[in-house]
This record gives sequence, C-alpha cells and structure tokens, in this order.
Amino acid sequence: MHLRSLLVLALSAIVACRATDRSDADAGGTLIMTVAAEPDALLPITTTSVAGNQVADIIFERLAEPGDSMNTRGDGGFEPELAESWTWAPDSLSIAFKLHPKARWHDGQPVTARDVAFSFDIHKDPEVGSSVAPLLARIDSVTVRDSLTAVVWYRQRYPEQFLDAAFQVRIHPEHWLGKVKRSEYTTSPVVRSPVGSGRFKFARWEPGTLVEVVANTDHYRRRPHLDRILWTIAPDFNTSAARLFSGEADYLEYLRPENVEEIKKHPELAITRYGSLDYGFMWFNLRDPRNNARPHPIFGDVGVRRALSMAVDREKAVKNVLGDLGFVSVGPLPRAHLYGDTTLKTPGYDLEGAKRLLDSLGWRDANGDGIREKGGRQLRFSLAAPTSSQTRIRLSVVLQSMLREAGARVELDHMEIRAFQELLVRKRWDAAMQAWRTDPTPSSIIQTWGIPSIKDGVNFGSYENPTFDAAIDSATSSMDARRAQEHYRRAYETIIGDAPAIWLYEPVNAAGHHSRIKVAPMRPDAWWTRIHDWHIPRNERIPRDNIGLRAATP
Amino acid sequence: MRALVARRLLQAAVIVAIAATTAFLLVQLAPGDPLGDLIENPRVPPEVRERLRARWGLDRPMHEQYALYLRNLARGDLGWSFSQGRPVGEAIAAALPNTLLLMSVALIGAFVLGVAAGVIRAGRRGSVADRALGAGTLVFYSMPDFWLAIMAMLVFAYWIPVFPTSGMTTAVVYDYLSPLGKVIDRLRHLVLPATTLVLLLAAIIARYQRAAFLDVATQDFVRTARAKGLPERAVLWRHVLRNALLPVITLLGLALPMLVGGAVFIEQVFAWPGIGRLAVAAIAARDHSLVMAIVVMGSVLVTLGSLLADLLYAVADPRLRLHAPTHA
Repeated sequence: MHLRSLLVLALSAIVACRATDRSDADAGGTLIMTVAAEPDALLPITTTSVAGNQVADIIFERLAEPGDSMNTRGDGGFEPELAESWTWAPDSLSIAFKLHPKARWHDGQPVTARDVAFSFDIHKDPEVGSSVAPLLARIDSVTVRDSLTAVVWYRQRYPEQFLDAAFQVRIHPEHWLGKVKRSEYTTSPVVRSPVGSGRFKFARWEPGTLVEVVANTDHYRRRPHLDRILWTIAPDFNTSAARLFSGEADYLEYLRPENVEEIKKHPELAITRYGSLDYGFMWFNLRDPRNNARPHPIFGDVGVRRALSMAVDREKAVKNVLGDLGFVSVGPLPRAHLYGDTTLKTPGYDLEGAKRLLDSLGWRDANGDGIREKGGRQLRFSLAAPTSSQTRIRLSVVLQSMLREAGARVELDHMEIRAFQELLVRKRWDAAMQAWRTDPTPSSIIQTWGIPSIKDGVNFGSYENPTFDAAIDSATSSMDARRAQEHYRRAYETIIGDAPAIWLYEPVNAAGHHSRIKVAPMRPDAWWTRIHDWHIPRNERIPRDNIGLRAATP
Repeated sequence: MRALVARRLLQAAVIVAIAATTAFLLVQLAPGDPLGDLIENPRVPPEVRERLRARWGLDRPMHEQYALYLRNLARGDLGWSFSQGRPVGEAIAAALPNTLLLMSVALIGAFVLGVAAGVIRAGRRGSVADRALGAGTLVFYSMPDFWLAIMAMLVFAYWIPVFPTSGMTTAVVYDYLSPLGKVIDRLRHLVLPATTLVLLLAAIIARYQRAAFLDVATQDFVRTARAKGLPERAVLWRHVLRNALLPVITLLGLALPMLVGGAVFIEQVFAWPGIGRLAVAAIAARDHSLVMAIVVMGSVLVTLGSLLADLLYAVADPRLRLHAPTHA
C-alpha cells in the first residue's frame, strides 16, 4: 500500500473517530442564552422578530442552506438540508428537489413532497401575509412528482432562482398546520407548540421567561451535540450581561465594547467575533420636511452633503464609540457580504476641504457666530436618533461636535424607538441616525435605496437616481457573475458619489460565552445556523450539562 | 355604611370609565405605530402591513376603535395582544401571580419594617437610633428604584454572588429540584427584588409613621392615659400606636394597586415576569389592547383600594362611623 493511501486511511480514521466522539459519546450539555426580547411567534411563516427567527430556524428546516460563502447565485456552495439532492431542468425553468428519505417531523410523520408544495402555497397565500411572498413572485408553482420529489416551476430564469426555492421558504408540515385556518396562523394556540423537522424540537415556551428546545435524537442526519438550548429573557441589557458574568447564562449574542473589557477579567468566559451584515449611517432627508414636493433646503444640494461627509473623521468617531467592535463603513454594502467591496472610495476626512467646498457653495459664516449661513438660512439642522441604540446615540453626539468644526449646528433629537420610526415614516426630519441589516442577496439594496421604495418602502430619505436603480437591475438580471459584479460596483459608486448619507460604521459582532461551549463558525446573517455543531467537552461540563434528556418533574 | 359603599362604588365606576377613555385617547395620540418594526423592515411589503393593520382593527377610525373597545370591554373581552401573540386576558393571567407574589412579600415586609422603624424613631425621639434610622430612611427615600436595584444586583449577585441576578427560578435546574429545593430556589430569586422594594417602601412608611406617632403622643387622651397610671408600654401600644396607624392605613389602601400593578423598574431590572414588565413591553410595542387593559385594571384597583382604606378607617376610628353622613 502506498504511503499516500495509508495517510488517507489514517486521516479518515481520525476524522471518523472525532465525528463519532462528537455525535455519540460527546453528546450532551445545556446552552442557556440570555436575550432581550422574546419571540413574537415560533412559526417561521409568521415570525418577524430576531428571537422568533432563531428558534424557528432551529426547529424547522429549509430544502438547502447557503454555505459559509453565502453565495446567492445558482446553487454553488449550497448544502443539502431537507433536500438530499436536486436536479435542474435543461431549460432551467424548474428544479426537482429530492427529499431525504429518512426525514421525519418531530411527531414521527415522514416529511413528504406534499409538505414542500403546501409550504410554498401558504407562503404565497395573501391570507397568511408572509413577508416572503413578494420574493416568490417568479415561482409559478410547486408540483409533487412522487412522495419524495417536489418540483419548483419558475416563470423565468434568473440568477437567484435556486435561493428563492431552497432558502426563502422553510418547510412546514401539512398534516399539522393544515388543520389550522390560514387566517389564524398568528392567533391559534396550536402554533405556539410548533412541530418541525430540525435537529432540535420544541419543548416549552413560558412567556416572559424562557423558550426551550431539546435535541432531536432521531434526526435523519445526526443528532445535535447539545441536549438542550434555552433562550432566557431579560429585557434590560445590563441584566443580560450580569447573567453571563454570574454564570447563570452561557451565551450573550452581542457584547458592547465595555463588556469586552470586562470579559477579560473572567477566565471562564470567551469572546467569539463574527461578521455582520449591518451598517450604520447618518441619513440625509433629501426632501423638505415641511413640503415633500420640494428638495430639502440644505441637503437638496449634493455639494453640501459631500462637504458634511468630508467634515466627519469617521475613523475617530467609530473608534471612539465602538472601539475594535466596528469598521468604518464603505457604503451601503458591508464587507462581510459576498459582494462587499472595500476598494470603493468613500469621502475621506478633510475638514479644510469641507470648509472650502461649503464656502464655494455660498455657505459662509458672515456674522462670526460659528454657524454658516446662505440666503438668510443657517446651516442648522436636527439629527434624530433612537434611544434603543447606544451606538447611534453616542455617534450622534460625536458627529454634532465634528460638524460644529465645519460651521454646521446640529440639534440632537433623541427619542424612543417607536417615535423615531414614526418620524422617519412621516419624513418630518432633517437627518437621522439609522442602521440597516442587509439581506444575504445583494439585490435587496433596491428595497432600501431604490426609487420604488420612496413611496411605499423604507427609502425614507427619498434618495433617487435612475442610474443607480438601472445598475442594480442589470446586476440582478445578469446571469454572468462577473458582469453582475461590475454592475453592482457601478451602482455602489453612484450612490456613494451622491452621498445620500454619511456612511459611518459596520459593527463587528462579538458574542460572549462560557469557554466550555465550543462554538462552530458563525455566519454573519445568522450566527445560529451551525448551532447543532456546538459542543461541550465532557471534562468541562458543569452540573446543568448533565441533566440529559429526561423530562422534568412537574 | 351601605349607603357609603354604594355611593363610593358608583363614584368608582365613573372614575374607571374616565380612566379607560383617557387611556384609550392617550394611547391613540402617542407617537409611534404598533407596526413600527414592520414598517422599518425593508422585506415586509406594504400590502402585508396593511393586512395586519386590518386584522388588528388598526385601520379603522378612532371612534370606531373606541366603540369596539368599549363593547368588548363590557363583554369581558380584553382583546388580542399582538406583542404577546395571545389574548390579553391570558397574558395578564400569566403575569399576575408573579407580581402578586413579589408585591405581597414586599408590602408585608415594608409595612412591618416601616411601622417598626417609625415607632422606634418616635419612641426614642432625638436619640442616636432616631437619627441613624432617619438618615437611613432618607437615603432610601431619595434613591431612584432602578439604581438601587442595579446596585443590589451588582453587590449581591456579582461581587458577592450569594443571590441570583434575575428571573424567578434557576433556568433548567429548577425543573429537576425536589419540592423543598424548588421553594428554596424561588425564595433565593425573590430576595433581591423584594428587599429592594421593601427598603424603598419602608422608608416612606417609616416617615409617615413617625410623624403620626409624634402627633398622637401629644394628644390629651394620651396624657390622660398616663395620668391614670397606665404603664408606658400600654400607653404606647394601646393608645398611641392604634391611633397613629390611621395615616398608614391610607397608604395601605393606596398601595393595593401596586400589589397587582407591580413595580415597573424593579420587574424590568430583575427580569421578573410580572405585570409591571408586561406594561413596559406593551407600551414600547404600542400594544393598545394590553396597555388599556392594564390601565383599566389599575384604575379599578385604585378606586377599590381607596374604598378599602375608607372602610378600614371606619373600623379603626369609631368617630368616623358616628359622623358618616346619612340620607335619612
């Protein structure tokens, strides 16, 4: 036998042993997470909250999951989940998904192609009101070829057609959910005890206190390493942090910069950093708050927007507020994104240049009070920020100080989140501290900055540039990945040049956890995707890890 | 007495109606949309938002919503809480026992401690004990509740980890404890929030009690009791304290709504799943049905508490029974 073959055999044996260790002998342990808000619902089709999506993602499954590359075009990098394999039709207008034959719902019923067809049907049903429905507009129908094969038919070919079928829809059991009236998916008590097919199954939900899932030891691929996961609810962030530091909880998904320092004093705790698809910015309202038909008297001028961008030392601001838990933003697409491009040129800090530009635009400080004027109007505006975000509140204060240097007077308007949201929607604001969480698909940028989103969407700042929209449209429809990337780059250059915002930061997510919890790589859009791979070595377990799967005494 | 009760109940009904209407108007006029999170979510299309708005009746004119609210209220239907994803009645029923547990322990502790501190201070007026207790009650009286709660957690759950930081039970472990172990676990979780409340409330009660005690101690009937040769202990306990309890009875009546209304900040900081925390979440989510139900419940209890205080007054002070107005 060749040396190479021997090595391959030895390596296979080691890998097999490790896999066995983890899946059998090493199984066990309890993960207690501390979260600020409890889920709004546990049914994937109805939940809109972060916590709800976490629990739903763990209980339910998709046909396939994007891999760590987060590719959204074609099926490259996708990992099979409920679908064991898939076959594209020669004309690419349909994909046949072959389900794993051993897949079972948590009540023991087999997962069938009828469940897949049912799931697409309820997601598209207006009566249900799923937020995914618009994304499925180009899917014509889903048919059942046999009990294990579902065929998804498309109206047209497009680059993200696999993503829409495999990722956007989580598969729901027809035999269980079919009994509930579709208009009652949000209100029926049945949906508070969901039946899924994932590696963890629902155990209990005690409102205001906790949600618990336990290992599905009969999962068709393999059981998860952990026995149970709990989301314990503590609405106050300091209480959540105290739970982690005191050992009552094992995991806190987002640390603040001050927590990072504190954790260093606790050898039993560790930090895991992972990417983020969020970006924060100071948003300019391009329309007059008093009359939206007119341009904003200050920010209607792209020159002023560029000058104010140049007056902000973003490196310093981000460092001050986020420490090493943030990068300076490169525009409306974070670097953790597949198409994130750190080579894009954003306005650099140049206070003198900003002053010169404002002078040239006619904004001068004629009366020497430190505030520029033009045509009898001061360079003075309000900056709204929600008190729910410590980062945005702190940054607004830093920006106020920096912009004062350039001769702009910023009046801070900190308010409660609902009031802030209403202010944005009514467009009665000058500038606002905002942050968006981007979708894994880069085409979703049109939902935040595109012209169609001005009227009914979330483009509250009313940014409009047909060149930008056209470039995104070309990128979205181009089947050639390289050409698509070029179109995206052109779109980003356009919007950065138009400066509808001062691009400020991209957070670096840092999770705090007990060091006995060995975590798997975390995906920026959903850190929990590989939670079934998390494990706790036997020799590091604490008493609560050894409870096992036996039921609690009443 | 019956006429008094009947009149007060009628007054209570009017007050509750006014409170319910005011709550409705305030909630409607407050800035913020109940569907604010969905409005800010770029993935949620406008038609989905509008469908949800219609489902919760939020798209109707204000007067229609008000009429619907009153009709449902009259039928005992408190509505649907969209922030909790369950009926309002169910959400309140789940949180109420938790608040009752916390607040009953806190109120009993606060009244015992407050009355005792007030009596000691008044009985030893000008002494070191009086001055020390005076300084102590002043500190707790002027301290913000959330700050004291955070400090209590910092000291006794973090620096000296003798009590759990928050919650009502130890997650997971609680379910596997023996019955005695479960009781002990609950008590351990109760210590910090209850003690925080006891200290804050006792500080108020002690000041009232001291003033009342000193006021009564200088009355003629007390001098008479002493002149009759009654022992000092009997004078203080039988004559002074009983009369000095009247203002504290008023406080007790007014504290009744707290019993079910909870302590908003304390429940929030200690993650105690009670009515106070539910109210904060409901207000933050602009969950109109839940906010109004909690306000109505609070106003009912304020009026009942006030009535109870009046009745207790009559029991404690026979003169009030004699002077009660009659319609004869």
